[in-house]
Amino acid sequence: MASIHLQNIEKKYGAFVGVQNMSLEIADEEFLVLLGPSGCGKTTTMRMIAGLELPTGGKIVIGGEEMTEIDARDRDVAMVFQGYALYPNMSIYENIRFPLRMRGIPKAEHDARIRQAADMVELGSFLDRKPGALSGGQRQRAALARAVVRQPQVFLMDEPLSNLDAKLRQSMRVQIKHMQRQLKVTTVYVTHDQIEAMTLADRIVIMNKGAIQQVGTPDQIYSDPANTFVAGFIGSPPMNLIEGVAQNGRFVAPGVTAACPGYVQGRVTLGVRPEDCHVGGDNVQGMVYGVEPTGDTTYLTVLAGTKKIEVKAAREYRSDIDVPISITFDPAHLYFFGEDGQRIRGAA
Amino acid sequence: MRTDAPSVPAKGVAQAIPKPAPRRRSPALRRAFPYILLAPALAYLLVITLYPGLFAIYQSLFVVKFLTWEWTGFGNYSAILQDREFWAALGNTALIGAISLTLQTVIALAIAYFAYRDPFIRGWRIVYLMPMLFMPSAVAFIWKLAFNDGRVISDLLGRLGLIEGNIDWLGSIPLARLTLIVADVWQWTPFLFIIFVAALQGQDQEIEEAARLDGASWPSIFWNISLPMMRPVIVVAITLRGIDITTMFTNVFVMTQGTPGGATETMSYFIYRQGFRMFNFGYASAASVLMLILTVIIAQTVVKRAFHSGKK
Ligand SMILES: Nc1ncnc2c1ncn2[C@@H]1O[C@H](COP(=O)(O)OP(=O)(O)OP(=O)(O)O)[C@@H](O)[C@H]1O
Ligand SMILES: [Mg+2]
Repeated sequence: MASIHLQNIEKKYGAFVGVQNMSLEIADEEFLVLLGPSGCGKTTTMRMIAGLELPTGGKIVIGGEEMTEIDARDRDVAMVFQGYALYPNMSIYENIRFPLRMRGIPKAEHDARIRQAADMVELGSFLDRKPGALSGGQRQRAALARAVVRQPQVFLMDEPLSNLDAKLRQSMRVQIKHMQRQLKVTTVYVTHDQIEAMTLADRIVIMNKGAIQQVGTPDQIYSDPANTFVAGFIGSPPMNLIEGVAQNGRFVAPGVTAACPGYVQGRVTLGVRPEDCHVGGDNVQGMVYGVEPTGDTTYLTVLAGTKKIEVKAAREYRSDIDVPISITFDPAHLYFFGEDGQRIRGAA
Repeated sequence: MRTDAPSVPAKGVAQAIPKPAPRRRSPALRRAFPYILLAPALAYLLVITLYPGLFAIYQSLFVVKFLTWEWTGFGNYSAILQDREFWAALGNTALIGAISLTLQTVIALAIAYFAYRDPFIRGWRIVYLMPMLFMPSAVAFIWKLAFNDGRVISDLLGRLGLIEGNIDWLGSIPLARLTLIVADVWQWTPFLFIIFVAALQGQDQEIEEAARLDGASWPSIFWNISLPMMRPVIVVAITLRGIDITTMFTNVFVMTQGTPGGATETMSYFIYRQGFRMFNFGYASAASVLMLILTVIIAQTVVKRAFHSGKK
């Protein structure tokens, strides 16, 4: 329906910077996920796109039209609020119907559309209840139904599944993705659930402290992190980050040594994912600190010096704790970050 | 961080807080305790309201001529129910009250709607309370001056070219009633305004934002969402005001004294006239009791209805 361009947008609350110098191109029909820790500015970014918050700097263009100062009502975006924001005096049916009424959609279409939206979120049997008589998860689904009942230019969804149980969340995820592909509506989706981000997104934007850390496809974010923040944020358990010194092609830290490219020099951080660590070999000499069988894998924590290294071991791996152990890294999947936290890439 | 290290045993948190010895109180004292606490307030209420109330009910069963009390049972009541002046007073009260209450509610809602987002107005809330803070009799005298004796209003309207000469406000039934309505609206609209602004400010702002994104205009948001959400507050405010208006007395006493021809005589003024002008104390008491019953019934049904259907 519409592409979205954010040009150097910024939101300051007094001296506090909520979102800083954010530039982003969201393609038409794209599913973009904003991912980041609590308080990093995800909701603020959404609200600026929606027109509920005026940026203190920069420009917002939606569908080729400059929208920075345009009222929320005239932007034709639909939003799922983090706090649901259902109309307490109306039944769920009337809640979902409200945008249809206000946007002048012919009355004859209302009922079918409302029921379709309600069925999508499995709320068909609650239509005549008031929001106050629903559970948190049901309210959240009602809010989702209200947003998807019409076809806007843009969907904005602020953690729309955060209150659902794992099973419902999974099925809703599939529903949302399917619906977005069908309706072809550009979607910005906020979450701090990585699985949600990975499975839904065409591209992920990782944010921290109001600034974009990296933009990329889920694969890029996972296998090519731009800095230690992204590396340490994505994956569960996340990437091991080991601070040490690199010299003449050798990385050394207490209990850890590894080969590194010649251009990596000085104080650096080595990153290695738990699944790229294997029991045996000679990269790490340490002690077994803990063993956690989860059913399909076993997580092993190794203490090397004072650093705890997470290893994804074979399913049947078992060990006593406090016994010596050695670990190898998959040499093809080592990442090096400089003192500023940025990835050190080969001399271009 | 901590400068004065307390002498907490280092071993753990669990034992750090000493358990207080269970306090004992005699069972009799324990049972009496709540009543002892309530006693002063109860005594006050008894003296101030219950005693006069009961006294009025008792007195309403007698024909009282100064010191002689003559039992009449429900005689006063049946006489009142056939009294044309009583019904006229009831009608006047209902009419003046309904118009006044409607006007002040609508005006207060309108101002609240336009003003509640304005931080300046929020900051100066106290100013809007001023009319309520003045002594009611003083306010009544000011209006009496403005309308009747001082002719300020006539003068103003004349200067605006709206009328010629002076209006005799007490000379026509609608105008006389209008003066009472204007005075009451002036004095009490701010009270409702403050309550409505508070109710609007208490509403979740995200709901308004959601409605905005759904495409609703401001008036439509107010009509479809804010107003229904204010419903319980509006009902309570109207009930309080309604009870107050039903007993409207001061303005009548000072401004119109029921003229012309009893067209502005309210229930309270009727009771006052019966009691303190004609000295029919028993009769006046009976009218008070009837009025009390009426007020309670109306208030009860209004509140019940509003809250019941609001919940559903
Ligand atoms: N009105 C405001 N005044 C001052 N600071 C604000 C205001 N609104 C948000 N902030 C601050 O801006 C930062 C970003 O807030 P935002 O709501 O965008 O976080 P978020 O990424 O959505 O977090 P979460 O995942 O917890 O919802 C926070 O540090 C917050 O305290
Ligand atoms: Mg948020």
